Amino acid sequence: MNPREFFINPADYGLPTREELVAYRIWDNHFHGFASKNPIEQYERNNFFVERIGIERSIAQEVGGTLEEPFAPYPYDAEIVKILERDKDRLSGRTPIDPGFPEESCAKIEKWIRDGPCIGIKYPGTGKKGVTCSHPNNDPIMRLATELDVHVYVHTWLKVGGTPRLPGGDNGPSESTPMDLAKLAQRFPKVSLICGHSGGDWELGVRAVRPFQNVLLEFSGSDPHSGMVEYAIRELGVERLVWGGHGPSRSYATELGKVLDADISKADRMKIFGGNLRRISASILRKKGFKIVP
Amino acid sequence: MKTFRIHTKPIHRRTFLKQSLLGAAAVSLGGHGPVGAQTAALNAAGSARAVGIIDTNVNLFDWPFRALKYRNTRALVAKLKKHRVIEAWAGSFEALLSKDMNGVNARLAAECHEHGPGFLIPFGSVNLAWPDWEEDVRRCHELHKMPGVRIYPGYQPFDLDHPGMESLLKMTSERGLILQVVFGMEDPRVHHPILNVGPVTFGQLSRAVNGTPNAKVQLLHFSGSSQGADVSEFMAKPNTLMDISRLEGNGAVGRMIGTIQGLPSPRVSVDRIAFGSHAPYFPVETAILKLIESPLDVQQLQAIMQGNARRLLPQA
Repeated sequence: MNPREFFINPADYGLPTREELVAYRIWDNHFHGFASKNPIEQYERNNFFVERIGIERSIAQEVGGTLEEPFAPYPYDAEIVKILERDKDRLSGRTPIDPGFPEESCAKIEKWIRDGPCIGIKYPGTGKKGVTCSHPNNDPIMRLATELDVHVYVHTWLKVGGTPRLPGGDNGPSESTPMDLAKLAQRFPKVSLICGHSGGDWELGVRAVRPFQNVLLEFSGSDPHSGMVEYAIRELGVERLVWGGHGPSRSYATELGKVLDADISKADRMKIFGGNLRRISASILRKKGFKIVP
Repeated sequence: MKTFRIHTKPIHRRTFLKQSLLGAAAVSLGGHGPVGAQTAALNAAGSARAVGIIDTNVNLFDWPFRALKYRNTRALVAKLKKHRVIEAWAGSFEALLSKDMNGVNARLAAECHEHGPGFLIPFGSVNLAWPDWEEDVRRCHELHKMPGVRIYPGYQPFDLDHPGMESLLKMTSERGLILQVVFGMEDPRVHHPILNVGPVTFGQLSRAVNGTPNAKVQLLHFSGSSQGADVSEFMAKPNTLMDISRLEGNGAVGRMIGTIQGLPSPRVSVDRIAFGSHAPYFPVETAILKLIESPLDVQQLQAIMQGNARRLLPQA
């Protein structure tokens, strides 16, 4: 089947057509196309869905190493760089770091962002030393991010557990909470920070980052809850929300449904689906030679 | 660049037109007026009607931990109809934590009757951990005229190895009732800390149903992950069904029925898949988008959106 071939008309079911989705100019802030033992095959296979849904640009979360081993040589790096060049009209990347190793992290940012193809920094939350994003180790990384004027994506979650049983009590040792991110945001108010996965628990995540205007909330990689986007708009404002598909492990349908559930204007949907991400990426995209319409 | 083929069989134009007309006939039974053509291809072929959806997984009343956007039944019905749902099988959030199950079921029946007669189909609940649950089955069937019951193991304090499971299956089967088994309500990582929801073990259900192989059983909000038990074998039994609300990952519906490759997935016949939204907790949009996202042909769509549910419940 051709990716643009449909036997169901979304408009008949109260949903946007592919053409309307394209018009939203969707930028996928959270793309795991290369997160696989066969990353190239997975990427190519997933393009069927990128094309089918009409996503304008995907931001791969693992360019240069993997989330688990961000500093280890990765045999697919060269091929991924070639794909970034081949598909530069629709694909960008972030490079993962580990604040347990600040010097290595800064060196990696130099290589993959200042001198390389990437447009952002990714905190995976799977670091080796149990260092989260609130630790002082992060300060040199943030200073470099400020100098390069790049945004920073932080995986955050609030997994319930522990003793006493509380949100965040079951997080991994290096897994940041939205409260960790709030501490970082307070120290570095000029860096655009993305609170990944809405903090996992969006009702609490929103509360944690609410005072810090440089923090954007990302909808991806968690279940779709009716009303979540409207709640975030009420508390944070629509300018602080970004959208991620989290494919292929999550369904684009899951993630699109969160935003389409909200009774908001087309202009506001466009901000969430891509406008806000383009705004915070404008500087680095210009430096990389991209001519992006905001 | 390497290319990947989608494993949907090519459709000859004449076959395509015939299949499209099958869809139109099914919708006309649902009582809807003409709507726009289904696809660009269909536009070229002539007019057709969009297939109405039977949503096999909604719940009414208040979710205990959040005021949901569509918690009001009138608003939920309007929302479902906006998305071309023609019938919704409704359970009750009250069934999760209540002890007076008859009260839960009576309120559910009354709410469905008041706000959606013929549209909201009540599925009462029984709690195997409470004494005399058999009487609740009888009342659901005989008093409230419900076509099935829905259990919420984990929230209701039992797993599917409960000694009452085989009796429940036998009882529902003898009465021609559908048994809906809910495998989850929300991501356990975001449970309220006061909750300690128990496990729900698919393999136990598979074993329990062996004694009643013709039982009508639908899995709701089931991820497809079975911890070693054979989902495909279970779903091959004659009256089994599962909804799509919990299927996750790009093309999940297509992967499950084999129209596309990708992440690992159990293989289930398209005859065993039914639409379920898990509304109002999930947006109803999400489940419909899954059908758009996966490469599905007209017959597959019709089966999932309406035909398979109608086969299990011919007259609501």
